[in-house]
Amino acid sequence: MEELFFIQHDVIPALWRGMIVSIELIVPSAIFGLIIGIIIGNLRVFGNTIVAGIANSYVAIFRGFPLVVQLFIWYFGLPHLGIYLSPFVAAIVGFSLCSGAYHSEYVRGALLSIKKGQLLAAQSLGFSKMKMIISVVLPQAFRRALPGCGNEVIYLIKYSSLAYMITCIELTGEAKIIASETFKYTEIFLIVGAYYLVLTSVATWLLNRFENHLRLPGFDHYST
Amino acid sequence: MVEKEPVLRVEDMTKRYGQKEVLHGASLRVNKGELKILIGPSGGGKSTLLQCINFLVIPDTGRVWLKGEEIIRSHKRDLYAYRQKVGMIFQDFNLFDHLTALGNVTIGLERVKGMAKKAAREKAVAELERVDLRNHISKYPAQLSGGQKQRVSIARALAMDPEVMLLDEPTSALDPELISEVLSVVENLRANGMTMVMSTHHMGFAREVADEIVFLEDGCILETGSPDKIFTHAECERTREFCSKILELYGNA
Amino acid sequence: MTESFIVIYEALPYLIQGSFVTIGIICGAMALGLSFGILLAVGQVYGHPFIRFLVRAYVWFFRGVPLLVLLFLFYFGLFTLLNINLPAFTVAIIVLGLISAAYQSQIFRGAILSLPEGQFKAARALGMSDKKSILFIILPQALRLSIPGWSNEYSIVLKDSAVAYALGVMEIMARAHFVASRTYEHLPLYFAAGVIFLILTYLGTRGLKLLEEKVRIPGYAR
Repeated sequence: MEELFFIQHDVIPALWRGMIVSIELIVPSAIFGLIIGIIIGNLRVFGNTIVAGIANSYVAIFRGFPLVVQLFIWYFGLPHLGIYLSPFVAAIVGFSLCSGAYHSEYVRGALLSIKKGQLLAAQSLGFSKMKMIISVVLPQAFRRALPGCGNEVIYLIKYSSLAYMITCIELTGEAKIIASETFKYTEIFLIVGAYYLVLTSVATWLLNRFENHLRLPGFDHYST
Repeated sequence: MVEKEPVLRVEDMTKRYGQKEVLHGASLRVNKGELKILIGPSGGGKSTLLQCINFLVIPDTGRVWLKGEEIIRSHKRDLYAYRQKVGMIFQDFNLFDHLTALGNVTIGLERVKGMAKKAAREKAVAELERVDLRNHISKYPAQLSGGQKQRVSIARALAMDPEVMLLDEPTSALDPELISEVLSVVENLRANGMTMVMSTHHMGFAREVADEIVFLEDGCILETGSPDKIFTHAECERTREFCSKILELYGNA
Repeated sequence: MTESFIVIYEALPYLIQGSFVTIGIICGAMALGLSFGILLAVGQVYGHPFIRFLVRAYVWFFRGVPLLVLLFLFYFGLFTLLNINLPAFTVAIIVLGLISAAYQSQIFRGAILSLPEGQFKAARALGMSDKKSILFIILPQALRLSIPGWSNEYSIVLKDSAVAYALGVMEIMARAHFVASRTYEHLPLYFAAGVIFLILTYLGTRGLKLLEEKVRIPGYAR
């Protein structure tokens, strides 16, 4: 019993240290990923054939390659081209670019679901393409993309644990280190599991609150 | 004189959804070979009563006897056996969409009655022939017209050799041209002695074919009687009101 | 540059052997996910309130905890504790399968709920028990409707299988890293590994599309 208490005193600070790193990974990656997703999504829907083609290829590759492979490429592969990224930076680059591809899918879906009629109306009112996108399309598309993009961020919270595989020591990494020293794998990973459950549950709850807050009457059932 | 035991006896059916009482103490006795027709305004409880009889909807109170034996709902096996003997025809047909017309009829025979594949197929084909659908047995529900779908559902129910048939507005979802084909099947069934309880809006049909008419409104059975009585000199004023309005609208459809 | 191609060319058989390991993991995990997922879905839709609670709790747990954490928890933690000695390959299948079951159960649940109520009613009217109704009427339709979602789940599990590398399973990624650490041709090799995954994804989703066509009911439009 005393041992358990003593262990907790060692374990919890280390895990907390790891948690901070995890959050330092997740937040920037989520933000960059969203920005990339919005840009790529728009390029795929509104860009000309060449631009859309490039955007689509980007998405095909970054959704097709496993995240693990992508992380390895940024961390172990780039040195070939003389670029040396720290594990932390490589992780953020990997998460952002991969996540961005998935976000772009939801953004694209949301954009396509805005009825063509509204676009025609905007054009006939004299909106330039750019203005039309910003004033008419984005506010609605934002609401429609929210569930998908929100879920993608929650996935990111879980996949951040893969940073361990390129030696970036975040929550999972710290846990692995301590567990291999103390052999208390079950206890430690149950605790870590609980940490992540709290993170994902809170994030899910916040997402639901936000979605409900933005809900417009009659908006939910949309036809394409 | 010994009173004949009714094939189906329903006593004191009540059903409440939240605050609304949809069925209020409805009772019914149906003799062998009788065609009892339920009429009344929509929402009056006709559908609920029919679905309570075979316990698809669980009534709050009410007892049911089939050929003198009471059905205890909690005895699952008895309940399933009972349902085999009570055929039900739905307004929306409810054909199994993933099965052909033949499949819809054989599935009950194979999976519920435990018949062998070959025997089930033979019986199913015979039933489908009886409703004049020999050439459509391999078609899926999505490929059939409304009238054909309803006839398949009748074949499906008949294949189980029921004692009683319950028909819940069988023609309400059909285009007008298709109604007669279903009604003529019902007439045939009656001519062959099937005991039936049916709800419908077709007053002309009811008048011609029914043995007894039951008028339901707001969950209560307001009046029962022979077609002649109900349509020409009904006791209850509400009945007279309803009948005259409907006869205006539907004529002798 | 040509050096890289030579390395890839020579490593290819080794990598492709790894894809058999990967395929093995996927088949096991998807099968486990499918069978258990159907049970969970049926339990969540038709079961006793307590069963529904258990299923929701299961889904919450296995969708909330990261794959890597679960792999470590099961492989180094639980199985060691229970003195069960399973190879990493098997543990990977079990964990991926349990997680996939949680996701698949929601796909099946959605499909079951999208069926009209009348289907179940008509089945019961014929005298079918609930079990028979679910088995012969509900599931055949729900499973057909679930194929697109299942296809999506397949591509996710395929990519997640690469994480099994962390347990030392010699699948594609592990082998690519193995060769790379000896030849220093990291970039080309990981790229090649990625392409293999792309090919496997394409083959799988294509196959499932064909399956969807094959079991399609004529005229069925939901």
